[in-house]
Amino acid sequence: MTSDLLPEGLQDSLPPVAEAMADARRAMMDVLSSHGFNRIQPPMVEYERSLGSRMEGVARDTMFRFVDPVSLRTLALRSDITVQVGRIASTGLASAPRPLRLSYCGPVLKIRAGQLEPERERTQLGAELVGNDSVAAVMQMVGVAIEALRAAGVQNISIDFTLPDLVDTLAASTFPLDAGKIDAVRRELDAKDAGGITALGADAYLPLLYAAGPLDDALDKLAAIDAGGALAGRIKALREIAAPIDDGVSVTLDPTERHGFEYQSWFGFSIFAEGYSGALGRGGTYTVRHGDGTGEAATGFSLYPDPLTKAEGRQAQGRYLFLLLGHDMRAAEQLRAAGWRTIAALDENDDAATLGCTHILDNGEAKAL
Amino acid sequence: MAKPTIFAIPKGRILDDALPILEQAGIVPEKGFFDKSNRALKFGTNREDIDIIRVRAFDVATFVAHGAAQIGIVGSDVIDEFQYSDLYAPVDLGFGHCRLSVAEPAEKAGTDDLAGASHVRVATKYPNLTRRHFEAMGVQAECVKLNGAMELAPSLGLSRRIVDLVESGRTLKENGLVETSKIMNVSARLIVNRAALKTNHSVLGPLIDRFREAVR
Repeated sequence: MTSDLLPEGLQDSLPPVAEAMADARRAMMDVLSSHGFNRIQPPMVEYERSLGSRMEGVARDTMFRFVDPVSLRTLALRSDITVQVGRIASTGLASAPRPLRLSYCGPVLKIRAGQLEPERERTQLGAELVGNDSVAAVMQMVGVAIEALRAAGVQNISIDFTLPDLVDTLAASTFPLDAGKIDAVRRELDAKDAGGITALGADAYLPLLYAAGPLDDALDKLAAIDAGGALAGRIKALREIAAPIDDGVSVTLDPTERHGFEYQSWFGFSIFAEGYSGALGRGGTYTVRHGDGTGEAATGFSLYPDPLTKAEGRQAQGRYLFLLLGHDMRAAEQLRAAGWRTIAALDENDDAATLGCTHILDNGEAKAL
Repeated sequence: MAKPTIFAIPKGRILDDALPILEQAGIVPEKGFFDKSNRALKFGTNREDIDIIRVRAFDVATFVAHGAAQIGIVGSDVIDEFQYSDLYAPVDLGFGHCRLSVAEPAEKAGTDDLAGASHVRVATKYPNLTRRHFEAMGVQAECVKLNGAMELAPSLGLSRRIVDLVESGRTLKENGLVETSKIMNVSARLIVNRAALKTNHSVLGPLIDRFREAVR
């Protein structure tokens, strides 16, 4: 057996894919930057306690953990950068003016892969707006997420809205539910298991399953269910959020979706696109916990850009310029500045075609081979 | 033309009950589907935008969860065994009723109740459901995965208990076994891939509605 085998769920990305991935990440980070999100770069490893306790619902058992030989405390490899943004917002940048706009991009690692997503390492790229979870904040973040994905060459985007705390809201008002049953009802709603909900005796929640689909239809159905008016505010907010989204994006609502919304509060969204089998990212409103026990509202999104390899970077052009020994260095420099990628010969035996070049520098100009 | 939507249907028990409901929902498979000697696995239907594949029940869930098929019919036992996060089960189709149960040899049943035991050995096609069932009682279950003929396991000393689907109980009886506890009730469900439902709602949404109508 070779000793060079990679562990399960980990892989090398090679050219040209690695380069295309980098182009996509760069294009997306440029969009975030252009919208005033400042980049942070937290470490890969932190104290497990800090990573695990900072946000509700983050499962500690998704992280690689080991003991720090220096402090003898348990360390964990991050499985979600959002948690680190929360820590930074409540420590290093606690006194920075609000709302705080932060962006990040880096690898995250989980200890066990799912059957449907065999990767254990992936890139997480995102933006967080700390200090605001209003409708305006959500509108802005949804818009930025769409723009970022488009910059990475993603088309036919579809956004799915959800109301993560819907069951709690309804259980406390219109459709009372035993506290012991709330989790089970939420789980069955999440799996859209009609039979399971009936088995729990929570038939009042059944119509929520059918209030999913294209936004306008779904909102009408949701409004029809909303006997007590507990959801009127939510419905109005969702209409406002969807209003500025252009026709190129299809917007759906799935009020009971809980996948990946462990810590979101009143609003959540996931992004899908034609040609990609899973969600490309998700976001929503949540609460950042501060050391003194208070909470701060925040809105953000995380994208998982590894499958995106269609950005219009240098790589996409597929043009390489061969430079012979003793070539015109100034001309080559100018062409590089104009977007060319050059490959310079190291000796007379170097062959342009073998090196994958499409053009050659001749008399200060690029000529097709 | 856009790629057809793939509808996955299990071979065996559920198939005969599924066809009438499928027809009520407006899907009729091509003739070859009903020909027992036909070895093809993928068939056209009266709808140009829907193709049918015929696979094993456990594979229906796998095909749909991975998005290789977008919609399918499968028992709730299979759904709960895998607990795929990307599977929706929006309609209880109301047929294929049976239960998943623990069974033991008749002469030994009740002789040692589980209290005090910390470990049991069980032969089953459903290792996850079995493990979860016994875990809830504080017992660690060591599962021997079999793909059929579970009823043989106790008499041949492979394991004392089995976990299997029980419909009338006849198979158990004929093999000298009795049902000692029920894990869950099972019925056939319509399942849909999560991402497919979001990105292709115009086909799958109305289809789900028609199945819902059909079983009402």
